[in-house]
Amino acid sequence: MKRILTILILLIQVSVTFAQKNYDVALISKDLLPYASAVTRDEEVTIEVKDLDNVIYHVKRAITVLNKNGDDIVNLNVYYDKITSIKYIKGYIYNEFGKVEKKISERDFEDYAVTDGFSLFLDDRAKHYIKATTQYPYTVEFEYEIKTRQSLNFHTWQPNPHTGLAVENSTYTFMCKPDFNIKYKANNIPGPVSIGSTKDGLKTYTWQVQNLKAVKREAYSPNEDTYLSSVRIAPEKFIYEGISGSFTNWQQLGKWQYDKLLMNRWSIPVETADHIREITANITDPKLKAKKIYEYMQQKTHYISVQIGIGGYQPFLASDVDKLNYGDCKALVNYTHSLLKLANIDSWYCLVEAGRAHKVSLISDFASMNQFDHAILCIPFKNDTTWLECTNQQIPFGYLGDFTDDRTVLACTPEGGKLLHTPKYTTEENLEKRKAEFNISENGELTGNMETVFKGTEYENRNQIIEEAQTERIKDIKRYYPINNLDISRLDYRQDKNVMPTTFETIKLSAHEYAAITGGKLYFSLNSVNRAGSAPPMVRNRVNPVLINRGYTEEDEITYTLPNGYKPDSEPLNVTIEKPFGKFTTTVSVNGNHLIYKRKLQLKDGTYSKDIYQELVDFYQSVTDADNYNMTLVKN
Amino acid sequence: MMKKILLLLITSFISVAAIAQDFPYGEADLQLLEMKKYDKDTSAHAVVLNEYGSSRIIVNNLDHIRLAFQYHTKIKFFDNKDFERDGTIEIPIYNGDDMVYEEVTDIQGITYYKDDNGSLQKTELDPKKIFREKQDKHWTLLKFAMPALRPGCVIEVKYRLESPYFRNFHSWRFQSEIPKMYSEYEAYIPGFWNFNASLRGFLKLTTNKAEIERACFTFHGANADCSHMTYGIKDIPAFVEEDYMTSPKNFLAGIYFELIEETDFNTGAKIKYSKEWKDIDYDLKSAFWFGGQLKRKDLMKEKVAPAIVGKTDSMEKAKAVYTFIQKSFKWNEDNDIGSVDGIRKAFDNHTGNAAEINIALIAALNSVNIPTEAVLLSTRAHGNINTLYPGISDFNYVIAKANIGGKSYLLDATDPLMPFGSLPMRCLNDKGRVFSLDKPSYWIDLSATKQRENTTFTYDLTLQDNGKLKGTITRYSSGYSGYLMRKEIKKFNSVDEYVENMTGKFHKIKVLKSNIVNIDSLDMPLGETYEVEIDAFDNLNHDRLSFDPFILNKIVTNPFKMSERDYPVDWGMPSDIRYVLTMHLPKQYTIENPPQNIAFSMPNKGGKFLMEFQNDDNTFVFSHITQFNKSVYGSEEYPYLKELYNKIILSEKNELVFKKKS
Repeated sequence: MKRILTILILLIQVSVTFAQKNYDVALISKDLLPYASAVTRDEEVTIEVKDLDNVIYHVKRAITVLNKNGDDIVNLNVYYDKITSIKYIKGYIYNEFGKVEKKISERDFEDYAVTDGFSLFLDDRAKHYIKATTQYPYTVEFEYEIKTRQSLNFHTWQPNPHTGLAVENSTYTFMCKPDFNIKYKANNIPGPVSIGSTKDGLKTYTWQVQNLKAVKREAYSPNEDTYLSSVRIAPEKFIYEGISGSFTNWQQLGKWQYDKLLMNRWSIPVETADHIREITANITDPKLKAKKIYEYMQQKTHYISVQIGIGGYQPFLASDVDKLNYGDCKALVNYTHSLLKLANIDSWYCLVEAGRAHKVSLISDFASMNQFDHAILCIPFKNDTTWLECTNQQIPFGYLGDFTDDRTVLACTPEGGKLLHTPKYTTEENLEKRKAEFNISENGELTGNMETVFKGTEYENRNQIIEEAQTERIKDIKRYYPINNLDISRLDYRQDKNVMPTTFETIKLSAHEYAAITGGKLYFSLNSVNRAGSAPPMVRNRVNPVLINRGYTEEDEITYTLPNGYKPDSEPLNVTIEKPFGKFTTTVSVNGNHLIYKRKLQLKDGTYSKDIYQELVDFYQSVTDADNYNMTLVKN
Repeated sequence: MMKKILLLLITSFISVAAIAQDFPYGEADLQLLEMKKYDKDTSAHAVVLNEYGSSRIIVNNLDHIRLAFQYHTKIKFFDNKDFERDGTIEIPIYNGDDMVYEEVTDIQGITYYKDDNGSLQKTELDPKKIFREKQDKHWTLLKFAMPALRPGCVIEVKYRLESPYFRNFHSWRFQSEIPKMYSEYEAYIPGFWNFNASLRGFLKLTTNKAEIERACFTFHGANADCSHMTYGIKDIPAFVEEDYMTSPKNFLAGIYFELIEETDFNTGAKIKYSKEWKDIDYDLKSAFWFGGQLKRKDLMKEKVAPAIVGKTDSMEKAKAVYTFIQKSFKWNEDNDIGSVDGIRKAFDNHTGNAAEINIALIAALNSVNIPTEAVLLSTRAHGNINTLYPGISDFNYVIAKANIGGKSYLLDATDPLMPFGSLPMRCLNDKGRVFSLDKPSYWIDLSATKQRENTTFTYDLTLQDNGKLKGTITRYSSGYSGYLMRKEIKKFNSVDEYVENMTGKFHKIKVLKSNIVNIDSLDMPLGETYEVEIDAFDNLNHDRLSFDPFILNKIVTNPFKMSERDYPVDWGMPSDIRYVLTMHLPKQYTIENPPQNIAFSMPNKGGKFLMEFQNDDNTFVFSHITQFNKSVYGSEEYPYLKELYNKIILSEKNELVFKKKS
C-alpha cells in the first residue's frame, strides 16, 4: 500500500506543466457556436509504441462546455483492464474567462465496473469523472496516460464523436520505431498525414483537424463513418495477451485467428457426439443434416455473454458449451461449427458488425481487429451458401434477419480470412400484407376478421408477442392496432421457418363505438390497422445524403360492409405518389354496400441525394394524411 | 475452551434447526421434469416450486454477532423464455468500512434435466463460474448463470449470507415476476432484540406461526430465548406490472422488519430503537447527518447574505434563498435522508445528494428567519411508507417545508428549473414526516398536493382565399406543465433551436414568427406564441370543406386498454388541458354541422370532458376541456377513466364541414 502511494506521488511530481493555452470562452469563433453544446478547444492524442507489449497513450484534452447539454460530453471515462493500466490522470477546471478554478486529481475520479447491460460478466473497469457545476460556460482540461500491454488494437481517433461538439483544434500523433509498420485509414480528414521523426529516431504520423462545426443529428443519415472524422490504425506485427502475430490484410488476419484463437477448441464430449450422429444417421442431404444439428443446438443452448481477457476474441471450448448449455456469440458459433464437423459438414466462423439501424461492412482494404462485434456461422454448401445466427433459439435455419443482413463479413477459414457478403432482403421481399373484412353496424360497432402475412425482415415483427402466453398476447397486440375499444376474440400465429420465412397472423376482432354517431352521420377511420405514424421532421440546411437502409412493402386491403341504408358522404380518397425512393397508392371504391379500401406503400433502399429529403418528408406527410382519413356515412 | 465448545454446540444446533424446516436439497424428481405447464397459471414460462429462507441472529466462530441468512429455491422452467432472468442469480453484498463486510458462503446449484436419451441428469454449478463484480466502494455483486439449462429443466440454488448488519433484519419478498407454489420464511430473533414485522401487498399469509425456542442464543455468558416465526404463502400469483402505477414494491407481497429495542448484554438495560416518534425526533436531532446539519444556520446565513440584499418581504426573501440554493448545487442524483460529509463540504464542492441540498436550503431559510421544517419522504420509485410503526427506514429523501404568512410551501432545490412551491414528480408519493429542531414531528400528505399540470391552447385563425389558415397559436403552460416545457426547451442549446426542432415536426404548419416568454421566470406561466400559416385546403373552389378542429394533440387511442385493473392509476397530480379555437370564415361560408355541446363527467368530480361551440355568423368559437381532478384513481374507478377517454376519442372524431352559402 505504502509503495503504491510513493509511486503516485512521484508521478504527480514529474508531470509536465501544461502548455498554456488561453481558454477564454470569448475567443471561440462564432462560426463554431451553432448547434454546439461544447467545443473542443485543444486536443492532443499521442500513441507511442515502445514495444509490441508496451504501448503508451497520452491524451490531453480541453473542452469548453457552453450549456447543460454539454455536461455529458465533458464527463470522462478512462477504461482499464488486466492488461491496461492508468499511469496518471489529472486536470483543471477553468472559468468562463479561462482562469483556473479547480485542480482535479486522481482522487476525484470514481472507480467502477463497466457493464454493457447484457453481459453476465465483463472484466473491464473505468475511472469516471463527473463535473459538478452550476455555472456555464466552463472549461475542463484533462491529461492522462495509459499503458497497455498489447499492440493489436489502437483506439480509433475521433475528434468529433458526438453530436453537439465543435472542434477548434485536435491533433493525433502515432509514434513508433521505424521498423514498426502500420496501415491507416483516414475518414473526412482535410489534410494528408504528415510523416516525420523525433530526435530519438522514432517515426511519427500526424493528423490534424481544425474548426469543425458541431454535427447535428439528421434522420435517415448514413453510417457515421461517412461524415465524421476518424483515423484508424492497424499494426503489422503485434502481441495480444502473450500471443504474437502479424498481418497486412484480411486473409492473414483471418488465418491468425483460425490458427491461434479457434484451432483445437472443437472437441465435443462423446455422449453428445454419439447423439448427433444418431439424429443425423438417416439424413442424406447435408443441408437437412445441418438443419437438424442447428435445431439441436438451438434447443440445447441459450445466449449469455461473458467477456474475460482474451475471451473478448476467443470462444469458450465447445466442450464447455456442451456442459453449460450457454455461451456468447463466439462460443455458440464455435459450438455449432464443432457439431457440424461431427457430421463432416464444413463451416466458417464469421465476424461481423451487427446492427439494425445501419448495415456496416468491414473495410475491405483495411484489416483490423476492431471492426466487428458479433459472430455468425457460414456453411459454404456448393452454390447454396447458408448463414446461421447462433444466439437465437427461435430464428429459422438459414435466416439472418435485419441484425447482420447485407454486409461484408470476415470468414476465418483454414486457408485464411475471406471477405464474404451476407444476404440482402429486398424491398419486395420485406413484405407486410394484410387483408381484412370488417362490418360496421348502425350503432357504430366494428366486427371482422383480419389476416396478415410478414416476410423478409418483417418476419420477426411479431416475435415478441409470439413468445408470450395467449393472455399476454391479446394484451400486447392492442398496442399494434390503434382501434378504440378493441376486443379480440381470436388471435393465432403460425410461422413457416425456412430461409425466406413467413409469419401469419389471424385476428377476429370487434370494437364497440368504433364509429362516432352524430346528427345521423357515422364517422370512422378508414385505416386503423396500419398507419405510418408521423412524417420525419423537416430540417434546414441538411448536410447528409438520405439513406433508406432497408426497403419494404406494405399492402393492405380492407373490405367494409356498411350498415343498411347508409352511403359515403366524404370525397373519395384516391392518392398515387411515385418517387425515386418509393411509391404510395391508396384508393377507396364502393360496390353496393361494400366499401373497399386499398393501400400500398413501398420504400426502396438506397442512398439518395440530400436534396431529396424534403420530398421524402412530403411523401410521408401525404401517407400520414391519407392514413388519417376519416370516412363519413349518411343515410340514403 | 468452554466457550469454544459452547459455540460449536450452538452452530451445530443451528444447522439442525435449519435443515429441519428447509426442504431437502439435491432431490431429483422425474415427475417435475415431466411437468408441462403450471395448472394455476398456464401462461407461466417458469414457476418456483418451493422457496425457503431463514434469518437468525447468531454468534459466529470469531465471537461476532451476525445475521445468518439462508436461501434455497427450486425453479421449474417450461421453456427458455425466462432463462436469462431467472436462470441467472445475482447476490448483492455490502462491504462496509473498517473491515466489516457481508459474506456469502456455501453457494450450491444443481440443474436437473432429461438428456438427449430421455434419462434424468444433474449438472452442478461450477464454483469457478461464479463471478465477483466490484460495483463500487461498497457493493459487490456475485453473479452466476446456472449450467445446462434447457426447456423443461429444474434448477435448485442454495446459499448462505452472513451479515454484520444484524439490526437490519433481512426482509422477504414472497412475490416475483413468476408464480410460486410455496414460499416460506423463518425468522429466529433472540430476546435481546425486539423487531416489528409488517406484511405488505394484497396477499394473505397461509402459514403464520410463532414459537419460543429455549436458550437459543448465548453471548459472553448472557442467554436468551428466541422467538421463532414462520411465514408462508401458498400459490403466489406472478406479479404483473401495469402502466401508470407507482413502485411495484407497494403491491408486491413481502415481509419487512424494523428494530424497536435492544437489551444490553451486561446491564440488561433496554436501548430503544425508535419506538415512538419522540425518540426518533430526538435521534434525528442529534444525528450529525441530519440535525447536526439542520443547525448550521450560521454557515448558511453567511452564504446567502449576498442573495437577499435589499429584500425585506418574507416571500421575496424565501424565493431568493431558494433560487440561490438551486444555483449553488448540482444534484448528484443520489436520494438520501442525510448528509454524507456535512453541508459545508457539499456547498464547497457545488454538489450534493437530495438531503444535503435541501438541508442547506432549510438551514438557509431559517437563517433569514423564515421558519422552515424538514420533510422526510419516500420517492415514488422507492415505494410507500409503512405508517403502522414509527421508523425512518422507509424514507429516502428530504425536502423543505417553509412557512410564510400562515401558508406552507413544499420545496425541493435539486432541480434548477423547479418553480418555488412545486415538487418534482418523484416526491409526490404517499406521506411525508415533518421534522424540526424544536417541535414534535407529524405527518403530511404528499399524494394530494396543490400541484397541477395546466395547459391552455388558443388558436385564432382566419381562412384565407387561397385555402390557407392564417393566425396565431398560443400555448400557456403553468404549474408543473410549465416546468416540463422549460425542461424540454433547455434540451436545446438555444430557444431558436427549440423552435426549429418543434416546427420541423408540424409539416402543414409554417411558423412565420415565434415568441416565448417567461423561460426564466419559473413562477410565471410559460407562454409560447406562434404566428402561423396552415396548409388546410388547396383552394376555396369547393362547395364543402371538411375541417378537423383538433389541430394538435388529437387523442386517437385509449391509453387504457385492459378491461379491468388490479392496481391504482397514479398520475401524481391532477391535470387540466384547454383548447379554444376561434375561427374566422370568409363571407361565403357557413358551418353545415354545428356540433352539439358535450359534457361528460366522472363520478365524484373525478374528471370531465367538455366541448362547446358558439357560432356568430362567420366566426365560431370551439372549445374543449379535459380535466382530471385526482392524483390517484383506485382500480374501482378505472372503468370510468377508460370510458371518459372513450368519449373523448369519439367526440374528437367529428369533423366540421364548411359549406358555401347558396
